[in-house]
Amino acid sequence: MGKRSLYLETKDPIIKFALVEKVLDLARANSLWPLGFGLACCAIEMMSTAMARFDIDRFGAGLFRATPRQADLMIVSGTVTKKMAPTLVTLYEQMPSPKWVIAMGNCAISGGPFVFEGQYNVVEGVDLLVPVDVYIPGCPPRPEGLLEGLMKLEEKITGTRRFPVPQAKW
Amino acid sequence: MLEDIKSEITDINVAEASYPERGYHLAIEARKENLLRVIKFFDDKGFYLEDLCCVDYADYLELVYFFNNHTELFRIKTTIKLTPDKPSAPTISNIYTMAHWYEREIHEFFGVYFENHPNLTYLFLHDGIDSYPLRKNRVPVSEDDKRLLSFPIPHEEEDTFSVNLGPQHPSTHGVLRVILKLDGEYILSADPVLGYLHRMHEKMAENRSYAQFLPNPARMDYLASLNFNLAHVAAVERLCAIAVPERAQYVRTITCELNRIASHIFWLGAFLGDLGGLTPFLYGFDDRENILDILEGITGSRLTYCYFRFGGLYNDVDDNFMDATRAFVKRMWKRLPMYEKLVTKNVIFINRVEDVGILERDKVRRFGCSGPVIRGTGMPFDMRKVEPYAAYGDMDFEIPVGENGDILDRYMVRMREIETSLRIISAALEKLPAGPFNAEKVPKKLKPPKGDAYHVVESPRGQLGVYIVSDESDTPYRMRWRVPSYSNLMTFPHLAQGTLIADAIAILGSLDLIIPEIDR
Repeated sequence: MGKRSLYLETKDPIIKFALVEKVLDLARANSLWPLGFGLACCAIEMMSTAMARFDIDRFGAGLFRATPRQADLMIVSGTVTKKMAPTLVTLYEQMPSPKWVIAMGNCAISGGPFVFEGQYNVVEGVDLLVPVDVYIPGCPPRPEGLLEGLMKLEEKITGTRRFPVPQAKW
Repeated sequence: MLEDIKSEITDINVAEASYPERGYHLAIEARKENLLRVIKFFDDKGFYLEDLCCVDYADYLELVYFFNNHTELFRIKTTIKLTPDKPSAPTISNIYTMAHWYEREIHEFFGVYFENHPNLTYLFLHDGIDSYPLRKNRVPVSEDDKRLLSFPIPHEEEDTFSVNLGPQHPSTHGVLRVILKLDGEYILSADPVLGYLHRMHEKMAENRSYAQFLPNPARMDYLASLNFNLAHVAAVERLCAIAVPERAQYVRTITCELNRIASHIFWLGAFLGDLGGLTPFLYGFDDRENILDILEGITGSRLTYCYFRFGGLYNDVDDNFMDATRAFVKRMWKRLPMYEKLVTKNVIFINRVEDVGILERDKVRRFGCSGPVIRGTGMPFDMRKVEPYAAYGDMDFEIPVGENGDILDRYMVRMREIETSLRIISAALEKLPAGPFNAEKVPKKLKPPKGDAYHVVESPRGQLGVYIVSDESDTPYRMRWRVPSYSNLMTFPHLAQGTLIADAIAILGSLDLIIPEIDR
């Protein structure tokens, strides 16, 4: 079994409407509906991001849906175990296209701290299961990190960045 | 007690152990044949089963039973030895309900077969496991066990149907799966399936040095990272006989209580979210962010703190921390009446939770419940009082208890615990002694003497125990975590039986479950 051979391909739609597509992308990027899908520690930071101080609603992504059928963004927030993997793939398949995936935290990126010789239960990276658009490192990433990841995803969808990259002040 | 045991059961070895060094008072060596008699004796005396775990010593397996008393601290370690090939032991799940899941866990991870166990099936692991994970030598899973270790398939009968609650469900607070058997809207039986977030912490502990394991406990229970951090550090300190300076003990107390408040506030929001009210979540996070700011200032992280070190702390607290904590305590006292107005006196809330999910007081002992779940039934059982650690011995505080053991009582206990914690923090800040914050001469690489130690702390969810076996090397031979939510969740099938789905969600929320802690 090849290391990166498991994931599903999402194909582009057959019919494309050049300009309409751009307008639609703009709309999609500004109203991403994430799936309310908490896995582990990162889920708490994801909730913090949705709450008053960080307020993910400012960017139109605050409507966490409990069902995958209404969502178009999956934030994989935490460790994916081998027992959870089939469920995660099912959830991804249930989401309507176009859909995106954010791998939040080191566990979702590569298995994080839970990779060691003889480990038997952790999927070493969610990209082995589903295609990932944005990776956010951290253990767990700060809410600002998740917001930056969201900006990156918007940039990927529309091709332009909405907000300037913050400059370090020191 | 000692005489009692000796006169009652003659064919066992009883040895007294030094409590400060070991964490238990008596060590009993029983045999497979007389185990049930010993267990029945403890049951008659009103002891509860604290922990049940297995240690693989290569040439034999050892089952370790910890018993303790709810009223007076008296911890007894009972062990039996098993042969390494085809090990089997009598089940005690008919006496202590709690052992039901603990035995299933041991069966999965060590391959110990429990005779007459009612349901020795799969609880944690996935289908593809081919050897027992926690055995020291590779032991392949036998074909008989593989049949038992398969995914549960719900059976449907006429008039009933099964519903999977989870693993992706907003009200299971993570990745818990409960198979509900329903008759219309009523629940006939609830069967939790765990292990969707089993991250092999106990296996990892055997793979790395004591210091390298420091970040792990925070990831077990991310809402009470400091309490878990403390349990690990204190157990190792007990094993190595490291004396901790008083200032460090006080800072540990203050930070742990801050973490407890943060955890309870988070629970408040999540629980009311389950009931359909999302506003308290927003209010609660406002207060919680304040605590996170304070703790971030000294620990450097927002959520998964790794602040305590063997013999002390990572760094000393400064005036900023003191001022911020005082300001927070003042603020929180003003906020509590608001929660009271918003939630406690809300008639919709009261109708949802009063007299729902009643846990009887005589059941909690056999379930091994702890934390607000047991205190909600009116039992003043709190490890901070029963077995004081850190600086809790110097603190004067009351343990809030409920009356009926329904959801409202559990809620009230937690809300009043926030007040208790605020009082402890204020008192500890007043008394905070000056001096060093780290023990001197703690070696970089710890090599504890041969032996074992048990240490218990009170996490926001209840009794958290760490059992470490050392073989004089720099890695633990075995590290066992007794987690509170695991035993508390065991009451759910009992409480949910015969209720409506909406009530079951409320009961599940009131238990305050953290799934990575259950799965470890």
